[in-house]
Amino acid sequence: MEIIKKNITLVLGISIPILMILFVAGSIYLPGLFIKPHFNFLYVSGDDYYYNYNNGQQYSVQNDRLVKNEIKQPENVNYNPPRGESKLYLYDVTKNESKEISFVDAQNLNLDSGVKSPDDFEVVYGSRDDGFFPFFWGGGTDYNARYLKGHNVSKKLNLQLNGSSYYNNFRFLGWIK
Amino acid sequence: MTTKEEVLQYIKTLAEQKVLTREELDMAYDGGSGIKTDVVLTKKLGISEILYYIGGAIVFLGIAILLYQNWSTLGFGTKVLATLGAGVAAYFVGLLFSRDERTETAGSAFYLISALVIPMGLYVVFDNAGFDASSYGSQSLISGILFGMYLLSYVVLRKNVFTLFSILFGTWLFFSLTSFMIGGGAYFDSWKFYEYRVLVAGITYILLGYAFSKSERAPLQGFLYGFGILGFLGAALALGGWKPNQNVFWELIYPGLVFGALFLSVHIKSKAFLTWGTLFLMAYILKITSEYFSSGLGWPLALVIAGLAMIGVGYMSLSLKKKYLSA
Repeated sequence: MEIIKKNITLVLGISIPILMILFVAGSIYLPGLFIKPHFNFLYVSGDDYYYNYNNGQQYSVQNDRLVKNEIKQPENVNYNPPRGESKLYLYDVTKNESKEISFVDAQNLNLDSGVKSPDDFEVVYGSRDDGFFPFFWGGGTDYNARYLKGHNVSKKLNLQLNGSSYYNNFRFLGWIK
Repeated sequence: MTTKEEVLQYIKTLAEQKVLTREELDMAYDGGSGIKTDVVLTKKLGISEILYYIGGAIVFLGIAILLYQNWSTLGFGTKVLATLGAGVAAYFVGLLFSRDERTETAGSAFYLISALVIPMGLYVVFDNAGFDASSYGSQSLISGILFGMYLLSYVVLRKNVFTLFSILFGTWLFFSLTSFMIGGGAYFDSWKFYEYRVLVAGITYILLGYAFSKSERAPLQGFLYGFGILGFLGAALALGGWKPNQNVFWELIYPGLVFGALFLSVHIKSKAFLTWGTLFLMAYILKITSEYFSSGLGWPLALVIAGLAMIGVGYMSLSLKKKYLSA
């Protein structure tokens, strides 16, 4: 105790960054223990219009139900890329995993296509903060990672994707009510 | 036999008469108590010492360029030998040289080489092990290893140069670990978070500088005060933001922080506090006038007011320096 009293500035100097590390850890991990998202969601991967040029179908939510829209591509004999196949996935927020679901099964789901879930969570891209000490530059977007974000909690999503994880290869369809 | 009280009273009288200086008293105490003064970072740098350190930096550059130009052709073993091997060898050469007083400064140049080259060596090892060596997770591990190594070296060898390296690698660890923890799903604005971390690092440096001012680590005080106050005032100014996204709390509290730094410069006799305090007060005056008064009073009038205020600040700074900080 006497040593601490004698070196109080040194102790303070060392404890301030340690306290900040603990504060950051607490503010990241603690809310996640008490606040949990409840609504699973449906998404589609591989239906990007430009990338999968001729896949001929696109999903959307109309009147709380999933519908499949056929897209007629203009005939072009000179350009005929392979057809891509889009896949539907159901994301389980409690297990933090996604599983493929057929269109027939997905049609039976009652969907809310709003950006935010009824319990105020949303799916967002990650942010990127690059650099090597002492040079840091922040504020970029990480298009390869997506998070479930709300109520000061953000949880990295463990998404299954149909093909590569480029930024357009995921499209949110709706929260399952 | 004179008593301790009598000796202390005699020292007090000599100090009042300005016959005895603090340095002379410290030297006499160290001579009697057997404390060996650390000459590295204590004495003023001469041409030869500066050349030692420049030489150390050039050795680092040579190794870095060798690696950069031949990254794809060199094998893992060669890369490790050129970096980690050279770094560890430089550390031991430093150890050997620092045993002799005549070669002690040259020894610290080798410590500098080791501190610059070993991180590169660890980067090579992590990269080869399949980790993304530039990720914050790997950076936390690399800086953590180096922080531990130099802190241990300080505990065993009691050399100021190791305190300096421990502080630098500790700062790297602090920044990379917090960035790693935040990850990609941050709720924090990454720029604001960066500014808060610089603020905290600045406060830590200032406190460490103050804590070291009365010990054998006093030579580090200038470096710690200089970078500490620069980081603290710079981060606090940046946290104030700019209209319309300004943060009123930081903008209002800022003059108090700057004047606090100027007041402390007299109290702790720090020219760094005075210089940076003056410069940041000028920056604040310019910022506030251009942010709030350039449209109301008109830009030219705002400039006249800012200019006059800056002349006043400069005059105040010079008087403080002459009155309190001149040796």
